[in-house]
Amino acid sequence: MKKVAVVASLVMVLLGALISMAASRDVRLGYLRNDLHHLAAWVAMDKGFFREEGVNVEIAGIFNAGPEEMTAFASRSLDMGYLGVAPSATGLANRSARIRAVALANAEGSSVVVRKDSAIKEVRDLAGKTVAIPGYSSVQDFLLRKALEAAGADPKKVNIIAIKPPEMIVALNAKQIDAFIAWEPHPSKAVTMGIGRVLISSPMIWKDHPCCVVAVDDSFYKENPQVVKSFLKAHIRATAYIKKNPEDALRIGMKYTGMDEATVREAISHIQYHYFAKEDDIKEYVRYLLKFGYVKSMNVDEFAREYLDLKAIKEVVQ
Amino acid sequence: MRYLPILCVVVIWQVLSFSGVIPGNRLPSPVNIILGFTELLTQGLPPGYALAGHCIASLKRVLSGLAIAIVTALPLGIAMGYWTRARNYLTPFVEIIRPIPPLAWVPIAILWFGIGDRSSSFIIFLGAFFPILLNTIGGVLSINRRLIESSIILGAKKRALFTKVLLPGAMPSIITGVRIALGIGWMTLVAAEFTGVKSGYGLGYMIMTARDIQRPDQIIAGMVVIGMIGYAMDFGIRQMEHKILKWR
Repeated sequence: MKKVAVVASLVMVLLGALISMAASRDVRLGYLRNDLHHLAAWVAMDKGFFREEGVNVEIAGIFNAGPEEMTAFASRSLDMGYLGVAPSATGLANRSARIRAVALANAEGSSVVVRKDSAIKEVRDLAGKTVAIPGYSSVQDFLLRKALEAAGADPKKVNIIAIKPPEMIVALNAKQIDAFIAWEPHPSKAVTMGIGRVLISSPMIWKDHPCCVVAVDDSFYKENPQVVKSFLKAHIRATAYIKKNPEDALRIGMKYTGMDEATVREAISHIQYHYFAKEDDIKEYVRYLLKFGYVKSMNVDEFAREYLDLKAIKEVVQ
Repeated sequence: MRYLPILCVVVIWQVLSFSGVIPGNRLPSPVNIILGFTELLTQGLPPGYALAGHCIASLKRVLSGLAIAIVTALPLGIAMGYWTRARNYLTPFVEIIRPIPPLAWVPIAILWFGIGDRSSSFIIFLGAFFPILLNTIGGVLSINRRLIESSIILGAKKRALFTKVLLPGAMPSIITGVRIALGIGWMTLVAAEFTGVKSGYGLGYMIMTARDIQRPDQIIAGMVVIGMIGYAMDFGIRQMEHKILKWR
């Protein structure tokens, strides 16, 4: 009797192990609230691409900005996430979280917005004014400074403050700030609400600049490389779907942001959905982080290699 | 000798961090926090914004909110302490508004006053007003009734009664109220600044920036600065208390 019991339990344990290996591992995913840059994630969820590739995605967090999502990575609450290059690179550089960027989510898709009736006609006119960014060391922080320098204005002469995007339009309207830079759909929303107009957009500041990436927790990546690959397959399918089915992508964008059609349509028109990131672009970001003192000194090339890992997506695309 | 336990905790903490038991990205070591603090002093956070500037901006906001609270709560408190009718009619208002935490007012404050100094001073005012009001009322009520009656019999006019009898009599309680108000105001201010400040200066705003660039060592260094300033202000008030109440 005892022998039977022992053998039976061993069989149960083995079966259990086999079953859990075969079953898909949950991916705890994070993304930014109302950030149309992350449309591929929403499309993959809505059309069932993740499910078809055998990935169980659990939404573990919807965040107001990149740094908040990085804090979630640091506390091991996320396995994968969509967020900007700048906050994810800063987090890795400051050793707050061990993540790798395994794919691009989008390029471009940010704009500087001023009040509709404002006297500000060029970027140079922002000197001495108050401009809001979503947070320090964000993609938009970089873009704003890059635009100011290109226009010959000194970023130090501009009052740059950080407020969360939902509050930017209100602050602009109330004349608390003179301009803001944010990701879509906030600039488009300011325009469709009749409050603001676009001063300058991504393509004029840095054509084709990478914006958001698909990031993965390093330990999760090492333990579940297949899951990450399957996730990326779904991400690639979703990215292609957006190009081929703009009307359905628009519907999904409206569903996940709750915003009206005009705003979402305008916003999507400014975003480029690609999935390949270029190492040179990453190095450009890192140099900026160093220049503005957001990270301590480091070897740019080494860091870019540590941050960007395109091995998986290259295998998938083959 | 009093500080020995704290010192022991810090040493143990450093050892645990150094050996890796405490992960550095969740809780920085004391040494890293001190290094982060020196960066706050030398580089500033965001880079270029000096720590002194943050301290001064936050202090200005809290002191102006506190000043408005004192100027409004003191007369109202004395009136409510002296006149029973006033106390009865106004207390319901007080009891309904008082329990609302000042932080809950932040969205409304921003709607009314924007993201400048006025909205944070308003939040401070809300936090500071009620302790001062209630302590003033209590202070007036605790004055020996005979003292008041004698003053009236001896011919004291209302004004003299208020300033020479009621105010000094309630002063110990009032000062306690101001101490509490300052503490609450200081705590509330920092959180109120999280939503953003127009001038770009403020200790709460500085901590939010440290969070943005993911430097927990500077977050904690900022928290220590806030704690120390709060302690110093409370110490200052207690010194003033000795001087003002010398007549006791």
